[in-house]
Amino acid sequence: MSIVRNFIQDWSRYRKGIEDGGFHEYEHMWGMVIDLDKCTGCNACSVACYAENNLAVVGEDYFAHGQAMHWMRIERYWDEPNLGDKASKDTQEHGASFMPMMCQQCNAATCEPVCPVAAAYHTPDGLNAQIYNRCIGSRYCANNCPYRLRYFNFYSYYETSWPSPLDMQLNPDITVRDKGVMEKCTFCVQRIRTAKSDAKMDDRKIQDGDIKTACQQTCPTSAIVFGDLMDHESDVHLLWHKHQTKLGTPKQDKKNPELRGYRLYEQLNTEPSVTYLERVREV
Amino acid sequence: MSNGKLDRRDFLKVMGVGGVAASVAACDGPSYITSEQGAEQVIPYLSPEEYVIPGKGVWYASTCLQCPAGCGVRGRVREGRVLKLEGNPDTSLNAGKLCQMGQAGLQNHYNPDRVTAPMIRDGGALKEATWEQALALIEEKTGPNSGISGSRFAWLTGPTSGHQGVLLKAHLEAMGSSNHFVHEVINTKVWQAVSRDMLGQSMPTLRLDKAKLVLSFGADFLGTWMSPIHFSGQYGKFRSAPDRGMLIQAEPSMTLTGANADLWVALRPGTEGILALGIANLLIHKEKMDASMLPAAARQLIDRYDVATTSSNTGVSGDRLVRIARHLKNKSPSLVIAGASAAGHAEGYQAVAAAMLLNMVLGNVGKTILPTNEFPFPQLKPIEGGTADLGRFAKALEAGQLDVVFYDGANPLFAAPGHLKLGEKLDAVPFKVAFSQFMDETTARADVVLPVASALEDWGTHVASYMGDETAISFQQPLMEPIFPGTRSTGDLLLALIKMRKPGPFDEIDDFYGYLQSAIGTIPGAIKGDGEDEINTQLWNHILQKGVLEVPAETTTFETSIPAITLSDHSDNAGYPYHLVPTPRAGFYDGRHANIPWLQEAPDQITKVVWNSWAELHPSMAARLGVEEGDIVKITAAGGVIEAMAYIHKGIHPEVVAVPMGQGHTEYGRYAQGRGVNPLSILDPGNDGKTGEMALYGTRIKVEATGRAGRLVKTGATETQHGRKIVATITGDQLRRTEGS
Amino acid sequence: MNGDLEPNRVLFRLPRPGRRSGVRFLGLIMFLVGVFITAALVPAPSYADEIFTSPKQGEPSAWSGWLEKEPGPFPGVTINDEPFDGDDVEQPIEFPHNVHADTNKINCLYCHTYARRSDVAGIPPTSKCMGCHSVIATDQPRIQKLAEYWEKGESPPWKKVHDLPDYVRFTHERHLKKFLFDNPDMGVERVDEVCALCHGDVKKMTVAKKQKSLTMGFCTRCHEANDGPFDCQKCHK
Repeated sequence: MSIVRNFIQDWSRYRKGIEDGGFHEYEHMWGMVIDLDKCTGCNACSVACYAENNLAVVGEDYFAHGQAMHWMRIERYWDEPNLGDKASKDTQEHGASFMPMMCQQCNAATCEPVCPVAAAYHTPDGLNAQIYNRCIGSRYCANNCPYRLRYFNFYSYYETSWPSPLDMQLNPDITVRDKGVMEKCTFCVQRIRTAKSDAKMDDRKIQDGDIKTACQQTCPTSAIVFGDLMDHESDVHLLWHKHQTKLGTPKQDKKNPELRGYRLYEQLNTEPSVTYLERVREV
Repeated sequence: MSNGKLDRRDFLKVMGVGGVAASVAACDGPSYITSEQGAEQVIPYLSPEEYVIPGKGVWYASTCLQCPAGCGVRGRVREGRVLKLEGNPDTSLNAGKLCQMGQAGLQNHYNPDRVTAPMIRDGGALKEATWEQALALIEEKTGPNSGISGSRFAWLTGPTSGHQGVLLKAHLEAMGSSNHFVHEVINTKVWQAVSRDMLGQSMPTLRLDKAKLVLSFGADFLGTWMSPIHFSGQYGKFRSAPDRGMLIQAEPSMTLTGANADLWVALRPGTEGILALGIANLLIHKEKMDASMLPAAARQLIDRYDVATTSSNTGVSGDRLVRIARHLKNKSPSLVIAGASAAGHAEGYQAVAAAMLLNMVLGNVGKTILPTNEFPFPQLKPIEGGTADLGRFAKALEAGQLDVVFYDGANPLFAAPGHLKLGEKLDAVPFKVAFSQFMDETTARADVVLPVASALEDWGTHVASYMGDETAISFQQPLMEPIFPGTRSTGDLLLALIKMRKPGPFDEIDDFYGYLQSAIGTIPGAIKGDGEDEINTQLWNHILQKGVLEVPAETTTFETSIPAITLSDHSDNAGYPYHLVPTPRAGFYDGRHANIPWLQEAPDQITKVVWNSWAELHPSMAARLGVEEGDIVKITAAGGVIEAMAYIHKGIHPEVVAVPMGQGHTEYGRYAQGRGVNPLSILDPGNDGKTGEMALYGTRIKVEATGRAGRLVKTGATETQHGRKIVATITGDQLRRTEGS
Repeated sequence: MNGDLEPNRVLFRLPRPGRRSGVRFLGLIMFLVGVFITAALVPAPSYADEIFTSPKQGEPSAWSGWLEKEPGPFPGVTINDEPFDGDDVEQPIEFPHNVHADTNKINCLYCHTYARRSDVAGIPPTSKCMGCHSVIATDQPRIQKLAEYWEKGESPPWKKVHDLPDYVRFTHERHLKKFLFDNPDMGVERVDEVCALCHGDVKKMTVAKKQKSLTMGFCTRCHEANDGPFDCQKCHK
């Protein structure tokens, strides 16, 4: 019986947010907030990501096959299902809907358990890691990702994407992925690593703002906020708190359901670490 | 876990341990990579600076030259290579932020298609030469013994400022010439002319963040207008609760700013002025706003544009006009701005002036439009570019007035409309020298090509034309050694040319760096050291570290006046019933960035198309033509024909076809050459009557289906959310309930 | 070369008694026997957390007791562990480490000064060599060769002996901090003992030679013994 009781108790603890005593024994939990009302869809984040993360330029033909490597992509939708009949039929009255999409760093990731070689796994600080040198290219993870955020190197792009001297720009902090390797947004793990290393060298804790992801750093309207959800002073925690979004629940139990925070495809119980704030339009 | 309980997560983790342990066991296998010894070289620094540590990035401040806005950047340099650019947080202009073009400055610098050695035309083709040969040829043609008179010499450049501008002027003076043509397709010249006439200064400070409503007539302030990153920063604040501002954008085809509007209004090209006056009419007569400050002529003009007249001209429905007027009345202060699509017509000045008039009616002047401090050093002020100069240049060429033309930072053969026939006219010029990083269309037809250093390899100072709150000089410094030893700094070349032509005050100066240091040393209180001609190195280093030098500036005040505005009604053109909008986009800009692979691969913000051109059509136009997405349409103007694949969406006026600027290069390296079409090539002749700027948006066209289809490559398989909650949208009312004050 | 005569220790490593085979045995059991259900039902202590979250200094780790930690400043590793016979690498100048580090007792960090400040230890800048050798031993042919490079304004093109694959991130500064600067048993004068853990007994070498395999197994064994991080992403980039 104790086994059953343990199971039930732990299960409920598992289903709690980390803020409410859900499982999380590590000192960090990286999370993000993207304010869709501030996002202008300008693409700066996407190009910053190319620059930071050694993303290959695949060219028009491979792009047409859906093989582009944009870890951070801006999706644009023309319809506004939430506005219902307030949306106009013959003109784009409220502009377009932009969605910056990158790996949601799910805490119950669908990509991880299917990896036959454990190249995709979960780090204790809540990242959805991809270890390139372990990856054998089965592509199961990409198949299983409901967000379509994993990108596969169908070809070796090194020669075509970085003809000399473009290769001089490559960031030495990240591997250049070769043919047959799956890759995706890492929340700029190299910046996290460096910042943590620097903090430990100085015998101090990481402070909010020590780590900025490339997309966040360049975002002209500051729509992207990144930080440690375990740090209760951090901007990202305050925003999650303000909008009453929590980790560890497939359905947000908000006191005020009108608050803007939501996680994408939450109903799939993937537990993303990214909260989006709803876009606002005066209608 | 320590209490002996086990949960699902631990269970998964235990599974993971099995994996880890197994993998640990397998990790002693040899690998050709891990056992590599002596295969790679590791060459140490000879004698490095104190702060250079291998494996650690060092950040250097500089200035972004990807567009004329002049944002501050910081480059991360490791092992002598610049790896990443970020905005410089020490500037108030861009406050640490950067756009995609700025980010891609790296690929401009590392571009594989850069010109690496001087070239001289020899028997019809450009052949590589030495610097001595190239400079000797230039001396022969323009030196003191060449006999060339100053009036037959001209510079055609992009906008410039700071000490490069000073040297350019000095060279013109040494040549005895006053022919300086400054070309920039995407500019704010008309706005500046209107501001100068109506407010007394050309670049008033705009405060979007203070406005509760922004009404923009085609000003793409988030993408290409004036200082997009500065305004994006303001936009972020403007969109913040509790007082979230409202954005209304009226334009013929959706820009990035339009895509973010609360209310996007499609209007017939060239009727922006009428719309502005129609709204003013409603404000005065319906909303009972005070218009006593307006002269009688202006009030009479406004009275002409009642709802019916405005609506029939602009194509904007009457109730929408009423709605806009009510919002403007209720949300004060507001801000009305007008950009390229308003200014790019024969009555462009009038349209922008009408928008400014609206600001006066609304009482925005002094609230969201503020006087800008006077930049104290007139010689360093930005030399603004526009399209009027291209027309003047073509006229000068036609009259056979020029024997020698130097180009720098401008590619007129790509950006000039076909009707100017600039190619033929330039071919008739006997001697053309291009200072260029790339083999673009203009460079390819020059007689001497001088490869110049990239923006990340050169020195310079820059004064932004839109400065906002902070009056500052932005510094550009090399972030790394030149990649190609065959390239030279433009400043060094200018100094050499000046010395070559005429002995003078520059003879004592060795290079541009030395000139810059001594020139900055003369700025009072800046870096002048104690001794004579001695600069304070500590301060100089401090400036370079910070990237910007704030200079003392005098405050100014507005002197408002209201010019006479005349607007003609929209007229139909039976032969060419539709309008062409050559859309400028942050990305390729006017085409200068088409050779950057990151930007080719970055989807267009609105259509999401990559690596190509397209023609945006309204669904009603597409239905009329019987075309679907990807079908090729033929766009015929009086000046020529282009064909592009159709992209169909509702963010465009039904009588408009929009084709993006930037593609259609016939030269310009492997990434740009032979892709898409250039809408600038078929523009109708026509200028703004007041400023002479080209009427970029005034081209009339007819559109036909060709029956052929192409492959429109874009990201995303769907244009709609299929009812899923992807981008959830709430109303402003809901926001006020939750986050309002 | 010796490597040809002796069995390749990398290829044919025999299971050794003690902790490592124990660890492997655990892994094998867990992986093969399908402990999924068993592990879920039996309230066994979880090692996962210990592996994924390195415990604070001084706290007992799950491995305590499993591992017989060897006494001394670096539990679980000694300089004589896991020898590897590397190739002889031909360098532009035959640099004698023994003369510098052993005979003249120059601290490793004097030349490899970046090791405590950066991920990479770095080869000392040529100016540092010339700092001494513009006056010392200038009659030696090797020094004359160095001076030649210096006159030309070039650095000798040294060959990399210890080369990690590009997907590995190793940071010298953090390892030095852990084993040297934060280690009460150690003093900076004994830095050579720390370096030797991975680089072998450089003091006895002329031109540096690889004496440790530097495979992932080599790394992880020490990480196990010293509670180093076990998260893949910490070291794989």
